[in-house]
Amino acid sequence: MAVLVVGGGVAGILAALDLARAGQPVTLAERFQHLGGQVARLDKIYPTDHCAFCPLWTDIRNCLDHPRITVLSSATIREMKKEGDRWAVRILREPPVIEERLCIFCGRCEKACGEGAVHPLLDQAYAPVYCIDAEKCTRCGRCEPLCPTKAIDLNRKTVEDRVVVREVLWATGFENGDLKPLPEFGYGTHPDILTALEFEEWTAESGANRGRIVRRSDFRVPSRIAFIQCAGARDSRMYPYCSSVCCMHALKQAEWVKRRIPDIDCTIFYTDLRAVGRDYFKYSMKDVPGDPIRLVRGRPGLVFALPGGGIAVKYEDTFKQERRIERFDLVILNGNLKPAPAPETGMGPSLLDGEGFVDTAVGFGCGFAVEPGDIMDAAVQAASASMRMIGRDKN
Amino acid sequence: MAKTVVLLCRCFGELDGIIALDGIADRLRAEREDTSVYLLNSLCMEEDAHRIGALLKQEGARAVCAGLCAAGSKREALWESLRNAGIERSGLFTADLREGCAWIHQGNPPGATEKAKDLLFMALAALDEKKASADVSADVHPECLVLGAGPAGLAAAVSLAGQGIPVHLVERAAQPGGMLNLISRTYPGDDHAKTRIEPLLREVETNNMIAFYPRSKVVSVRGFAGDFKIGIQGPDGTLRLRAGAVIIATGAGVLLPRGLYRYGELKQVITQMELERQWIRGVPDDKRFAFIQCAGARSPERAYCSTICCPSSLKNAMRVMEEIPGGEATIFHRDIMTPGNLLEAYYRKSMEKGVRFIRFHEEDPPEILGGDRVEAIRVRDAARGKEQVLALEKVVLSTPLVPNMDNRSLRELFQLELDSHGFFSETYPLHPLETRVDGIFIAGSARWPVSSDKAMEQGEGAAMKALGMLKRDRVSALSLSRTPGEKPGHGTVEERTCTGCGNCVSVCPFLACSLQERDGRFVSRVNKMRCKACGSCVSVCPNGTMQIPEHNYRMVGAMIRRAFP
Amino acid sequence: MEEEKRKNRTELPKILVFACRWCGGIGAGRAGWKRLEIPASFRIIPVECAALVEPDAVFRALSSGMDGVAVLGCHVGGCRYNEANHAALKRLDLVKVLLDTTGIGGERLLLAFGTAHEDHQFAGIIRRFTDFLGKQPPLEPWTGFAKNADLRSEG
Repeated sequence: MAVLVVGGGVAGILAALDLARAGQPVTLAERFQHLGGQVARLDKIYPTDHCAFCPLWTDIRNCLDHPRITVLSSATIREMKKEGDRWAVRILREPPVIEERLCIFCGRCEKACGEGAVHPLLDQAYAPVYCIDAEKCTRCGRCEPLCPTKAIDLNRKTVEDRVVVREVLWATGFENGDLKPLPEFGYGTHPDILTALEFEEWTAESGANRGRIVRRSDFRVPSRIAFIQCAGARDSRMYPYCSSVCCMHALKQAEWVKRRIPDIDCTIFYTDLRAVGRDYFKYSMKDVPGDPIRLVRGRPGLVFALPGGGIAVKYEDTFKQERRIERFDLVILNGNLKPAPAPETGMGPSLLDGEGFVDTAVGFGCGFAVEPGDIMDAAVQAASASMRMIGRDKN
Repeated sequence: MAKTVVLLCRCFGELDGIIALDGIADRLRAEREDTSVYLLNSLCMEEDAHRIGALLKQEGARAVCAGLCAAGSKREALWESLRNAGIERSGLFTADLREGCAWIHQGNPPGATEKAKDLLFMALAALDEKKASADVSADVHPECLVLGAGPAGLAAAVSLAGQGIPVHLVERAAQPGGMLNLISRTYPGDDHAKTRIEPLLREVETNNMIAFYPRSKVVSVRGFAGDFKIGIQGPDGTLRLRAGAVIIATGAGVLLPRGLYRYGELKQVITQMELERQWIRGVPDDKRFAFIQCAGARSPERAYCSTICCPSSLKNAMRVMEEIPGGEATIFHRDIMTPGNLLEAYYRKSMEKGVRFIRFHEEDPPEILGGDRVEAIRVRDAARGKEQVLALEKVVLSTPLVPNMDNRSLRELFQLELDSHGFFSETYPLHPLETRVDGIFIAGSARWPVSSDKAMEQGEGAAMKALGMLKRDRVSALSLSRTPGEKPGHGTVEERTCTGCGNCVSVCPFLACSLQERDGRFVSRVNKMRCKACGSCVSVCPNGTMQIPEHNYRMVGAMIRRAFP
Repeated sequence: MEEEKRKNRTELPKILVFACRWCGGIGAGRAGWKRLEIPASFRIIPVECAALVEPDAVFRALSSGMDGVAVLGCHVGGCRYNEANHAALKRLDLVKVLLDTTGIGGERLLLAFGTAHEDHQFAGIIRRFTDFLGKQPPLEPWTGFAKNADLRSEG
């Protein structure tokens, strides 16, 4: 009997492969159309400073090819009911308008669309397919007859799957939380104040700017960039925990800024510089082109747009006991990562703890859904959660 | 010459107007006698794939050259048809005519057509020379060797035994438990150290699936993934064990901070491990404790963070506050490393309990004051910018975990990789428990400093990886691929011409080549199970002896000759 | 004489590209998805890893009428074969030195180790290399290095 893995990011994919290779059939449900989760959207990963594409794509392909793994994409869990020692799960799938198996990526639909609603699924995803943005689509139908393989069906119906599984493994990962409860960071008040994930996408090599570092407001090259750590983390008002990955993430982004344009000054405002894993400390000490990355210990109290242009950051340099205001061209906020919602449908007593993490005393889980961590943490947890899962049932 | 079939994909008209496929097809037929050329609307749609299968059988084709797109994800149906028609991988060569030609030369149809023709002739020329690597396979021996019976090794052994896999658990010391035998409590649950591993220890004692070898070590290793032959030396002599997979969980040592903070000079300056021993004996007498972090870590000599020292200090500092009447604990640190949810909550808890924290700079560490005993500690408080002097009785140094002395010899025996600090290296962040040798896995502090609960997690994880190997009936060299599907071949030596220079041996990133004696001379031998077909050996071979049959020098030469007419 | 030869070039220079299956090849494939327009005078030989490119192949290409050879591999640190590309880089750098010493010119061998996302970079590399080689005098076909001499007799 199959087990259900919820979430097709790094954690879910690796868990599915581990289970399948040990002989356990797996149904893998992913809410987006593509596999790979957050890591697939990253431009570079630490500590390799390389794109995550190749190794991730290898495991995605292994997942899709494995005879014991059934991948359900564009799928959300609607209901889970315990029936004896198994779970009956209702999964709702919204098959994409452009069917993946039939799309040959010719792009005739994109050319025909007058609203710009058709675009490649994800630059970083490998299986190249087109998809239609439901919000922009006017359902004019111009694209449908043009598709040579008849992959487009504007009247695609949602499909409901009912599966009965032995166990459920939650690997739902993380997403950005709302920064509105923390107005001091000025998020939303100016285009040049962005979250780390937005900055990643903005400066991605395969993204809109082809790897160039420019401001969002006027597309000019910034001369000073501030990275603010623990913005929406280790904060009793919002998320009291540490998101674990942000310090290394800021170091990586700052390093790549310096690699591309050594003249840009990068400052990281931190609380504790948590570079803990293998060679992470060395990574934090790495030489970069141009001036070194400036590390300032202090959590800025105010970030606001200046009338003449630029962003002011008001902070206390705790090592100098000085309060200062400095002007930056771009401010990157690191933090505010929260576990993506794991539907609590029927798993109670509450599957999730107070912060939204999966309680492993109640259910199986791995990755950020259980505990903030990076790729390596997720990979280890995927393997160990899989082992615990098959260990439970001594069939 | 074998009958060759050329399949050209029109890609639903995507190539029309750019590449004149019909003209090319005629050229191909004219120049090559034994070749049939077919133009199809697509090669990826199911109906077309079936049609291909039928015509390949009809033609009696032994080799296929396909001109298609770069979107590899669409090829399942096509590959199946080829397989059903009996086409081996060595009988297939593809040329990318879409992304690699039509779509990047849209403004230059004559150039694109010329290029497409050349690419196809290159492919056919390559196909004529393409050979197949010989595969080897072996039965998988469904037993596992676990080295080290600390928390990681115990978790691995018990997990595997629970799956019906016999485990050989080899331990250097006289009893299992590893570092947990020396610790009083673990974090973050503040359990007694043995609590977590008690059920595991019982399992080791009672479960017949687990054979425990105390006071033993590995002395020889032969074999490969699926069938390792390991020599163990124990108190009763040498044993030969066979295992399909190996998990290395040999743990780490702890640095003795000689020369740091007057350790060795003053009796009241101790290490965390020594403090643990005191807790095991009973509540210490002293009241005021200082914990100094990063003692011998995050320094030029040891440029790494040892992960566990901050939480360990929090644990012991909280014990001081809770169990010692009038107890005071101050932690002197450079950063508090408690990433994540659980550990950050642990940090908050310690602050609630009244533990004090003073940050210092690496260049300006605290100073221990006192004549013949510890009396006070002087520190420049980085956050206040002031110097402070605190009177206290005991100084506890948090020193890093350091690689086991055994790591070097184990590295030699198993042909693994150590990182720059001496810990066992993994292959890639997405596979943190796997090494560059298939079938050998790493877990726990042998891999990188971790707490005992994370070590157990890694042990379970490594067991899961091992299970993936052990559940196979047989393992073949071509199946041990780093990439989706099969390996593209492996290095093959032409023994007649091998001069035994050893270039391949030194360059192979997977240590798959070795020199063997043959008729009084040395020749290279490729361990096909380890080879990943990267081709490094081919490039350094002085006379073309080493080749990958699927990409041999004749193929490359043929392609070069046909690249431009 | 050299100047004349240079001016008399009407064709685009011929380039042989060895692209690794991963970053090199995927980057090239992406250029196709984005329909970037690139000069058509190059041909790609796919290899599993840049490490598979023998120095001999470079010499043979240059003695068979190619004007330049490009080797595309993964970023240093990103090779999935345990940094096999590091050794490849060093080896091919030596080949450049040899090409310089023999008067062929090390600039005729281009080494570009990048990432799979780099479609525009791939296009740029080919365009610039084509441009550069177009300004060099054509190589005289010569029967120079060939590790496997029997190939010469095969034409």
